[in-house]
Amino acid sequence: MKQKSLSAERRRKTVLSVVLSIICIIYVLPVLTVVINSFKLNTFVKTDTFALPTGEMWAGFANFIKGMTFGNYPFMKSVLFSVVITLVSTFLILLCTSMAAWYIVRVNSLFCKILYFLCVFSMVVPFQMVMFTLSKTANTLHLDTPWTIPVVYLGFGAGLAIFMFVGFVKSIPLEIEEAAAIDGCGPLKTYFSVVLPMLKPTIISVAILEIMWVWNDYLLPYLVLDRNKYMTIPIHIQYLKGSYGTVDLGATMALILLSIIPVIVFYLTCQKYIIKGVAAGAVKG
Amino acid sequence: MATLNLKRIKKIYPHSGGQKKTKQKGSQEKKTNLQVTEQGVVAVQEFNLDIADKEFIVLVGPSGCGKSTTLRMVAGLEEISEGELYIDGQLMNDVEPKNRDIAMVFQSYALYPHMTVYENMAFPLKLRKMDKDEIARRVKEAAEILDITQYLDRKPKALSGGQRQRVAIGRAIVREPKVLLMDEPLSNLDAKLRNQMRAEIIKLRQKINTTFMYVTHDQTEAMTLGDRIVIMKDGFIQQIGTPQEVFDHPANIFVAGFIGMPQMNFFDAKLECSGGKYTVSVGGCTVELSEEKQKNLTARGAAAQTITLGVRPSHMVLAKQAGNTLSAIVEVNEMMGSEVHFHANANGKDVVVIVPTMNAEGQHIDTFHAGDTLNLTFSGNVCHIFGKDGKNLEF
Repeated sequence: MKQKSLSAERRRKTVLSVVLSIICIIYVLPVLTVVINSFKLNTFVKTDTFALPTGEMWAGFANFIKGMTFGNYPFMKSVLFSVVITLVSTFLILLCTSMAAWYIVRVNSLFCKILYFLCVFSMVVPFQMVMFTLSKTANTLHLDTPWTIPVVYLGFGAGLAIFMFVGFVKSIPLEIEEAAAIDGCGPLKTYFSVVLPMLKPTIISVAILEIMWVWNDYLLPYLVLDRNKYMTIPIHIQYLKGSYGTVDLGATMALILLSIIPVIVFYLTCQKYIIKGVAAGAVKG
Repeated sequence: MATLNLKRIKKIYPHSGGQKKTKQKGSQEKKTNLQVTEQGVVAVQEFNLDIADKEFIVLVGPSGCGKSTTLRMVAGLEEISEGELYIDGQLMNDVEPKNRDIAMVFQSYALYPHMTVYENMAFPLKLRKMDKDEIARRVKEAAEILDITQYLDRKPKALSGGQRQRVAIGRAIVREPKVLLMDEPLSNLDAKLRNQMRAEIIKLRQKINTTFMYVTHDQTEAMTLGDRIVIMKDGFIQQIGTPQEVFDHPANIFVAGFIGMPQMNFFDAKLECSGGKYTVSVGGCTVELSEEKQKNLTARGAAAQTITLGVRPSHMVLAKQAGNTLSAIVEVNEMMGSEVHFHANANGKDVVVIVPTMNAEGQHIDTFHAGDTLNLTFSGNVCHIFGKDGKNLEF
């Protein structure tokens, strides 16, 4: 009887492993396709999409060089703007939302509750719903440069960040802040010397999520930025499309690979924090 | 080193919304009998207390009696709704906590988890922009007093509960504050560690010159630590006095029942007065009160009446034979080693009697079992007489 149930359990696990493996392959396949095709000559990308880049198909690093030197806009300039926008936006989101979450939890007035509700609600509003009005508003308020677009990112990123920070701040005992007040801290000193260091695990989680989002974001900078002056990496890749709609797929794949390398490295280094942070937000929030 | 004066202190927690109001009212009323007014729930009222320089005051009472609220008002963590708080003669009602020159030890330690023990202790000194050498000297000195020198480089998570509490005390004493506040500092520790830390606090008190205000719900802590004890219930002070005073002369039934372990026995009895002599009768036992009690009752003009008689378990005596005695049937006996606690029933009331297991000659005294009858008596000196309102008739 016992043996029977054991073998049933083993069979169930095997089926589950096979199903999950298939799902994993489906998820990884597009990324693998990008990697394979970035080393393939352009003509073979369309004809032998899933074949390995061997023999006559092998292009070496030609696609990378071509992609980076294509057109009039320097690729490194796009990288610079992507880096600036990502870092400034993330810094702004972390600083403002962690402070706001601390305020929301500790003051806990009706205003705070409404504010929190609005922040959480902003997560369920699709970007497409507000993108046209946003484009106009951003132009009017001169938020259409890489130096000012982080303000727009702050607005869109605040929802998730506040949701996660509120969950964590709730778990910080109030006595620690009271002890700080007695020890001689004002509100700002309490925040920077006591609360902020304790928020470190959530800061790392939020930072990772926001960095991945801003770095990969295409639509928002495309709608807001003046594309003649400022391009981010995703926009730059899209501009590899030549006249009459011809696309150099090999070069495109090469640039996509280049753009996702930092995110993948970043993710692999910090993945334990991502899982911890998301779970914390979900459970405690 | 400071005097502390609390004058007619009152704390009202305002109602924060219709729904919450009802909820809070309901829950508060169940737990305690706190007064609920139009303004809100009155957590503390009519709190008058003068604390002398270097005195160790203990606030004691059941949960929700307002003792922690009072301490937090002294610390500046709670606003004082009414009344005045003076530290060293200076009105402190509207002074920020950091400017009151007080330090506080919390029940949950409240250590900064990202800092080492050294950094935790040095933090309040750094905020006061003290010289680095002076900070190091003070932290070292406090660490030596508390025997935590070897843990200075560790983070709080690497310490045990007792060690963490020492660090919390260390952080408080490095500042050499005028007043050291302690909010149930030993409640999170296990029984053995609590006894150990209690002794440590007594030693600490001898080493540092400061005024202590200590909150606890544990009467043993209150009795062993305090120069004076403030017993609170439902936001009101019930009695202030030295541990011996409150044990020997409880002001009311609540204090009599709260202080002393096991709890004082209470009987429905009669106070009688004939020929200028007061006697108390309970069951078949009539006892003439001691001269001191006679004097006190005469001075207050106490009339013959129905009373609640209180006698401590250790003051109940086993009579050799029935006579002018109170009969009680043993229900349970608890062997404590040097003594036995008999839980018995006398006239429908639960009675606890403490009897030593050995006499002075080292001979074992005969014990009693469930169902046996005890003949109890007590002296007129150990009777506590409470009127219908629960107040001690001698006061």
